[in-house]
Parts: sequence; C-alpha cells; structure tokens
Amino acid sequence: MSNTKREFSVVGKRIPKLDAAQKAMGRAAYIQDIKLPQMLYGKILYSKYASANIIKIDTSKARALPGVHAVLTGEDVPEKMKMGFIKDNPPIKKGKVSCFRDEVAAVAAISPEIAKKALDLIEVEYEELEGIFDPERAMEKDSPLVHDHLKSNVLKMPWDIHYGDVEKAEKESAFVVEDRFTTTWVTHCCMGTSGAVALFDASENLTIYTNTQIPSLAQKDFLEALKAMGLKNKRVRVIKPTIGGGFGSKLDTYAYEHIAILLAYACRKPVKMVFDRVEEFKATSTRQPTIIYIKQGCDKTGKLTFRDMRMVLDNGGHTSWGATTPSVMLMPISSLYTVKNVKYTAKCVYTNNTYSQAMRGYGNPQATFAIESSIDMLAEKAGIDRIEFRKINKNHAGEETPQGLKITSCGLAECIESVEKELDFKDKSEKGVGTGIASLIHVGGGARIYGSDGCGAILKMDDYGKVDIFTGGTDMGQGLDNITAQIVAEELGLLAEDINVVHSDTDICPWDVGAHASRSTFVAGNAALGAAKKVKKKIQDFASKLFETPAEEIELKDKMVFVTGNPEKNMPIGKLLRKAHFSPGGNMLMAEHFYDPDNQNMGKELKGNMSMTYSFGAHGAKVKVDEETGKVEVLEYVAAHDVGRAINPLLLEGQVYGGVVMGLGYALTEEVTVANGEIMNANFRDYKLFTAKDAVKIKAPVIETDDKDGPFGAKGIGEPGCVPTAPAIANAIYNAVGVRIKDLPITPEKILAALKEKNG
Amino acid sequence: MKPFTYLSPTTVEEAISFYGQHSETAKFMAGGTDVIVKVKEGWMEPDFLISLKRIKEMSELHKNEATKELSIGALVTHATLEKSLMIKNEYPIIYDAVSNIGSLQVRNVGTIGGNLINAVPSADGAVPMIALDGVALLHGPDGERSSDVKDLFLAPYKTILKPGEILKKITIPAQAPHTGSAYTKFGRRAAMELPLVGIGVLLTLDDDLETCTRARIVLGVAGPTPMRAFDAENYLVGKKINEDLLIEAGKLAADESKVRDSVRGKAWHRREMVRVHVKRMGLKCMNIIRANN
Ligand SMILES: Cc1cc2nc3c(=O)[nH]c(=O)nc-3n(C[C@H](O)[C@H](O)[C@H](O)COP(=O)(O)OP(=O)(O)OC[C@H]3O[C@@H](n4cnc5c(N)ncnc54)[C@H](O)[C@@H]3O)c2cc1C
Repeated sequence: MSNTKREFSVVGKRIPKLDAAQKAMGRAAYIQDIKLPQMLYGKILYSKYASANIIKIDTSKARALPGVHAVLTGEDVPEKMKMGFIKDNPPIKKGKVSCFRDEVAAVAAISPEIAKKALDLIEVEYEELEGIFDPERAMEKDSPLVHDHLKSNVLKMPWDIHYGDVEKAEKESAFVVEDRFTTTWVTHCCMGTSGAVALFDASENLTIYTNTQIPSLAQKDFLEALKAMGLKNKRVRVIKPTIGGGFGSKLDTYAYEHIAILLAYACRKPVKMVFDRVEEFKATSTRQPTIIYIKQGCDKTGKLTFRDMRMVLDNGGHTSWGATTPSVMLMPISSLYTVKNVKYTAKCVYTNNTYSQAMRGYGNPQATFAIESSIDMLAEKAGIDRIEFRKINKNHAGEETPQGLKITSCGLAECIESVEKELDFKDKSEKGVGTGIASLIHVGGGARIYGSDGCGAILKMDDYGKVDIFTGGTDMGQGLDNITAQIVAEELGLLAEDINVVHSDTDICPWDVGAHASRSTFVAGNAALGAAKKVKKKIQDFASKLFETPAEEIELKDKMVFVTGNPEKNMPIGKLLRKAHFSPGGNMLMAEHFYDPDNQNMGKELKGNMSMTYSFGAHGAKVKVDEETGKVEVLEYVAAHDVGRAINPLLLEGQVYGGVVMGLGYALTEEVTVANGEIMNANFRDYKLFTAKDAVKIKAPVIETDDKDGPFGAKGIGEPGCVPTAPAIANAIYNAVGVRIKDLPITPEKILAALKEKNG
Repeated sequence: MKPFTYLSPTTVEEAISFYGQHSETAKFMAGGTDVIVKVKEGWMEPDFLISLKRIKEMSELHKNEATKELSIGALVTHATLEKSLMIKNEYPIIYDAVSNIGSLQVRNVGTIGGNLINAVPSADGAVPMIALDGVALLHGPDGERSSDVKDLFLAPYKTILKPGEILKKITIPAQAPHTGSAYTKFGRRAAMELPLVGIGVLLTLDDDLETCTRARIVLGVAGPTPMRAFDAENYLVGKKINEDLLIEAGKLAADESKVRDSVRGKAWHRREMVRVHVKRMGLKCMNIIRANN
C-alpha cells in the first residue's frame, strides 16, 4: 500500500528521544553505573611489543597481593575459546603476541586500584621479534609472518570479482583516469567506554551486562565460550545497560567480555571490566585502513564504461569483522552510479598493527572516497560539468546492478538536485573558496550477512491502553526506541508516550541479528509493525462484535476505537481492552511477529540482492582553504538523503548531523597515529575529534520516496551521513585551490605541501 | 588515584607555612586543571594539595590609573581576563591568548598563574606575558623576589621557583602610546586545542606611526620553553614598518625557532606557520595602532 497520501498522527513527528530527560538528568544507568553485591574488578595486561614471543610469565607476586582474587594468563584460557569471525583469536594470548593490544594476563581484585597494582606485579619476559607494519610489504614473499602457522600474511578471502568485461570496456572508453588513494585508522570515540559485568548463578548459568549491538549473536558467542570452558547446556542472559554510542564498535564480542566471564567463573563472583579512555583508544578496534587503486572510464558522452578497483586492507594482528568490509565496499564499487563492467579485488593482510572492526559505513566511506574523488577527475578529463556527469550516471528505480542489487525506490537524482539548490556551485567570487559534491548508495532495507536477517517483536497491551513492546532491536542512542514507539503508536492509534519499548535483555526480548547495516528502522521497525498489525486486528475483531460492524470498518485513532463514517460509535481503547480482558473466557491482547526480509545472501559468486532496498544521498560542501597555512574551513554543508520516509525528522537530522561531523573528522582531522604498531595519540587532546566549536551548520534536506517494503515507507539512515563526506570535502578543496589530496585525513600539512609542489 | 589531603589557606604566609610543614609531599594548586589531571593519571602523587584559591589578594585584576601599570593576580582566571573589556581593548594580545584556551569550563577555573607555573612550551598565557614585558612577583619561605616572566622558564615543567615559592602576581609596565599586540595559536581544532605553534607579536611605533621603536615576537611550542625571536625583533626596530618588513621578520623568526617534528605536527610546517603568522600578527598590530589613532 502506498503511504504517500496518508495522513499520519505519530509517524513524521519530531518527538524528542524518549530517554533524553533520563540521560540529561544523569539517571540512565550505563555499564559504569552497574554495581552488584560481591563484585570484583577486572583489569587486563597488554603486550609491551608489537611482535614478540612470550618466554615466561611470573604471576606469583600479583597473586600474593592482598585483595587479588584471580590472575589469568593464556595458559588458563580453554583451547577452544576463540573470538573474531574466523574464531582464531583467544582472549588471552600465549606463546606469541602480534600487536600491542594483545592481552597477556588479567586479574580480578576487590578494587580497580588493587587490580591495577596487581598488573604491575606481573612479570613477563618477552623475546622481541621483527614486526611488519606496512601491508604492501607484508604481502611480499620474504616478509616476516604475523602468524607462524599460516603460510602467508594474506587472508584467504574471496574478493576477486569481475562483472562484465572490464578490459574490453577500457579499450572502448574515450576517457580513463587512474590513481591511488589511502585511508587511515580512525576510531569510534564512543562517549561511553567499553565494559561488561559477568556473573554466574549457582547452576553455572551466565548473566552478562555488556555494551553490545548484537545481543543475540553475543549470546551465541558466550554460549560457545561456556562450552569451551566445559559448561555445556547452560543458559546465557545478555543484558544491555544504556549504551553510550555504538557506531559499529560493538558488533563483535571482545577479549574483555570473555575475560570477565573467565574471571567471574574462576572467582565465582561478579566481575566488572570497564575501559578507561586510553584503553578505549588502544584496545578497541578501528576502521580499516585501506590502500586503494582505482581506474574508471567513460565514453564521449560521459557515460561510465567501467570501474576497476584493487584494495589492500591492513588487517592488523588479528581478524575481527573488519576483514569482511570488502563485502560492503563491493556495494558502492559495483553500484554507485550505473556502471556495467566492474572489477574488484581486495586483500586483507596481517600486520603487527591494531586490528579493525565495523565502523559506521562498514567500508563504504573508504570505497566512496576513492570512487567519488576519481569521478571528479574523470568528469574533468571528459570536460563535463561534475554535477552533470553524476546526473548522466545516476542510479534509478528498476535498475539491477552488476552485483545483482535490485534498486526499488531511488531518490539519487532528487538528492543531487536538492544539493544544487541549497549550495551555489558557480560561486567562485572569493579566492580559496571552492565547492564539491559526492554521492552515496547504502543498504537501506537490511543486509543479509548471516543465515537470518530477521528481528522479532512481542507486543502486549494492558488494561489502560498502554503498550509494552519487547524488541530484539538495540537502541544505543541512535533512537530505535522512538522509531519503534512511533511505528506502534501510529498503527494502534496511540501516542508515542503510551508505548514502552523494552530492548535490553535476551531473557525477555526475541532474537535479532544486531544493530548494524542501517537496518534497525527497516527490520526492527517492520517487526514491530507486524506485531502491532496483529494486535490491531484483534482489537478490530473484538470491536466489530461490540459495535456490530464489519472489522474493516473499525478505526483506531487518538486512543479511541470508532467506526469509519460513524464516529459516534466509539470507545476509548483502554475501556475496550478492559472489556476484552474481563469478558467471559478472558482476552489479553498480545502478539508476536518475526520479520525476516526477503533479501539474498551473496553466494560464492558474490552476487545477490543483499538488501530489500537501498538508501541514496548526495553531499555538497563549500570550503575555504587558507593557501598560506593549508587550513580548511567548511563554510557550508548540505547533506541530502533519500530515506524513504522520515519516521522522526528530528532524530533523522540527528543521525545526519552526527554522521556528517564524523565524516568531516574522517576527511580533515581524525587519525589514530600509529608508529611501528604503537598508538601514539590515545587521548582526546591528540586524537582530533571535532569539537562542538568545529562543527559546521549542516542543511539536511530529506527526500521521501516511500519505499514499498519499508515500515510506513522508511529506509535506513544510520550510516549514510558519514559515507560521502570525505570525497565531498576533497573535491571542494580541489575546486578551491587546485590540489587533490588522495590520502586521508586532509591535513593542513598535506595541503600546504601539495600547494608548494604545484606552485613550485 | 592516590588520595590526598586538601588544604585551603587564606593568606600567602599560611600557604607557605603549610608547605613548610609538608614540603616535598605537598603541591600548590590553583584551578587544578593541570594538577588534578596529573594526580588522576598518577603522574603526580602528592599527599597534600594546598589550594591557593581562597587567598583573596591573589585574585585581583587591577590597573593603576596613575602609573598605568597592570597587575594580574596569579589566581585570575582565563575567563576573568577574557571577559574584561579593559583587557580586550588595551591588551588585545592577552585577550587573543586566553579566549581560546581549552573550553569555557577550563577557562572558568584555570588561572594565569597556573598556566605559567605549569611551564609547558604550549602555554598560551605565557606568550602575552612575555611580550608585554611582564614581571612575576614571587613569595617564598625566604621572602619576596621578582623575575621577568621571560626568565621564569627553565625547561618543560620546570621554572625558577624554589620549593615553597608562590607566584603572587604578574605586573605589566605601562604601555607606550601607539602600541598594538596580537596572538594566535595555530592548531587543528577550534577548541580543546594545544597550539602546534603559538605566535605573539607586539609593536610600538613612533609618533610618525611608521617607525618601530619596540618589537616583541614571542613563540610558543617553538622550543622547550616559550621564547623570544630576538633576531626578528631587532630587525624591525628602527625601521618603517610595512608588509615586506613583516614578511622578512617572519622568515627570521622561523629561522630562529627551534621547532621539532612530533606526532602532533612536522617541524617544516610549524616553521612555515611561524613565518606566516608573525607577518599576520604584525599586520594585525599595525591595524590596531592605526585604528586607535
Ligand atoms: C581540557 C583542557 C584543555 C586545556 N587547554 C589549554 C589550552 O588551550 N592552552 C593552555 O595554555 N592550557 C590549556 N590547558 C592547561 C591548563 O588549563 C592551563 O595551563 C591553566 O592555566 C592551568 O591553570 P590552573 O589554575 O588550573 O593550574 P593548576 O593545575 O592549579 O596548577 C598548575 C601548576 O602550577 C602550580 N601553581 C598554580 N598556581 C600557582 C601559584 N600561584 N604559585 C605557584 N605555583 C602555582 C601548581 O602547583 C601546578 O604545578 C588545558 C587543560 C585542560 C584540562
């Protein structure tokens, strides 16, 4: 059903985040706030070297320290307890360490201070080995091996793809450009640092409070951990406290969680592990750094003929989900703009650097930086206006891309037009001022990466017209609580405040694959909508008997049930619920729904429609470059997105603003500085996250294409905000002063050096 | 964090005597924006923190209308300086420097005295105090003495202060007519930013409004302590100032600077920034002088 003409009561309203007051008053309980009786505090000792053999660990002094309850080393970790998506990374290493963040020991003590002191008393003898820090060097035959049991530093991964015929297309192209781009490590910078509290009950079932975006998958990981510990057939309950930011950082289970479990089991007491900020910088995973070789061509009219990309990803010392980002990179590579012939190879290479994880955009920002910088270069070479060039190649509804993505709704052209309208691209009045544009495609209707891309919801109504909805989805600050409440309220004719969204506990919430891939509004939203529809049907059926009218003629609005065209026949929903409850036989209104989208897993061929629908966007930037210092000031920024429908424009803008500022940091200032594997700027003084004062005014036009599969037409918007930001800025800098910076972040140093080279 | 006892004397004498009782185990504290960070991180583990905050005379900001001497109590906060119209109009170099320190919260509690005595090469507040020929008044167990602010610093985190000595205030001598001054910090962000380099320039012109009679070019993060670029200063004195001369002074200052490569920034770029901003601040001084005339 098309929603375009429909009048909404709750959907589309700017309702502030439901827990905003709670947070502003300091009442929301984060992992830091959780305290359990008899709780101990855990701490981790990390490696002193990027690469070394562990010769000997002496923990006797640490064990002897009063207040210490347990000290663990790699020897205490069950052989089968492994993390990461290829399950090759034990939570505490033994034998060899392969990056500075490798865990070598852990303690539990009665206070964090004692735990820290105990770490200082652990004596580790290392034999330092030659490290390898450059992934291209690590690919060479004579490079030292990061993992001795593997024959090569290159991971066995499938990304060697060829759609169409790139060689032929290149020969037939009128214009071709080719270049090399690099992106570096950046990190999520969640305001709430990582942490977990683990405890076992008397029957050795585990409860773990943890900051996670994947409660159900984490539950599975922890069940496997228990199995590895010899605890079979036990239960795991995952409870999420209020989460202070996710951005992809919580899409895996980590050493600190597994260590909390091991310590809690060893001590038979609750154990809390919370990272300090330095640890958060050093021991959590980053965005993948990439080296990107790109070649693109077009014909005389500017139509793209082919795209050929080769990537080297620094995988660091271990494999977390970062190594799977090439799957998502494939999406813009194969499908941003219409291009028939596509080649893509990616290699993930072990080094002794830190390792990577999901981060907002999941590879898309890296790929889009190269693609959209290169598109500008190609348009210039072809002598075609850069905006016109993009319009010529725009995606459109009904298109099936070489990868097999089926574009249903597509507002890319409207996004580009709205950026053009908001930003004066012709203005070249002032010296050093320039404009840039870049577009994006992203999954907007789930993403089938696992066997299931589903989410469950259970809905129950009380006697007063209030709803409790138990969703598998996760709110980590992005606003899934509001989205769920607004969707349910719209369907049941209630107010958002009537809906209590419970999303915190695997004991009471159904399964969900996780808050990733911008999927929650779409998938968890559809799950909630499905449950609400079932309850609505029950209400209609009941009212139909009461009012002696066909069920289809019963409407729910403004907390009332009434008959269409005959509004005098009405009853407050609460009253009707009580009537249902206390009628003979009794009747509680409840429903459950599991929504699993009809999208496809990419098979061996790496082809398939991985999402039900795709989100699009275009970003435009106006910058001013100080040609004497290289400093960039962002004067104006427009970020237009096709979101299907804005369920809550206020939160939607928040996602876009946040994404853009994250993207601006990626473009201009943010960088985890790594020297021979060691992180040199593990603090907010030296890691240049944008501050409130650096943030720029952002216009965020919303294009509503009313997607046929989205809840009330909505598509995902969690990640897109930070996807095309860096190339929009890079393109604007080029437009302003004629230098193209191909390595992120675009620092004043790089610009000034390039200007000096250009001007001789 | 190691626990400590918090002492809050109300007079300088009392503070000094507290220090006498606890000596090495005690540490003075003003706003605490440097001290508390260090204590929390475990870089410093005093048993006693002697807060100077309740010593009223050290919080005064006062200009003697007769002698035109400016007196800045060590406890005067950056926010107080930033909000003073007198400072903004008559000592723009101070305003420029303090109004961009950290964030509003940091400026509300951080003091000029703490900024000087903490003695990092990046202290924004040090540059204007040196450029204005500030004199530090010290008071310790052996009584009072004074020192030019420029001679306070020995090395990063090291000043000439003896154990138990307190910085009471900084006095700024009367400024000659036709004086302009300006400071800028070059950094990556607009807030919460230590300078990659800090550049302060002060120029005094003759009545002809062209000839330079006094020049101060002071650099932060250009060496282990805030430093004056004497070659550049000397180059300007006695000459009729124009943009070309300021460009040349920028080059000289850049040559004199002892900038280094670090994780935060490359030496060549810092040197460039000294060169560019000495010129820019010089021009800003000229504009101020002309506007005030
Ligand atoms: C988030 C943040 C951002 C910051 N940004 C900047 C910035 O942009 N620029 C900048 O320059 N600084 C910055 N700082 C550093 C700091 O805020 C300033 O140096 C501030 O001026 C210190 O003053 P305070 O009163 O807090 O000093 P305190 O921390 O109280 O003391 C600093 C040192 O001086 C000594 N001391 C203090 N007063 C006296 C006195 N009267 N006599 C003798 N000894 C004394 C103390 O013993 C201590 O060694 C920042 C700090 C933080 C935490």
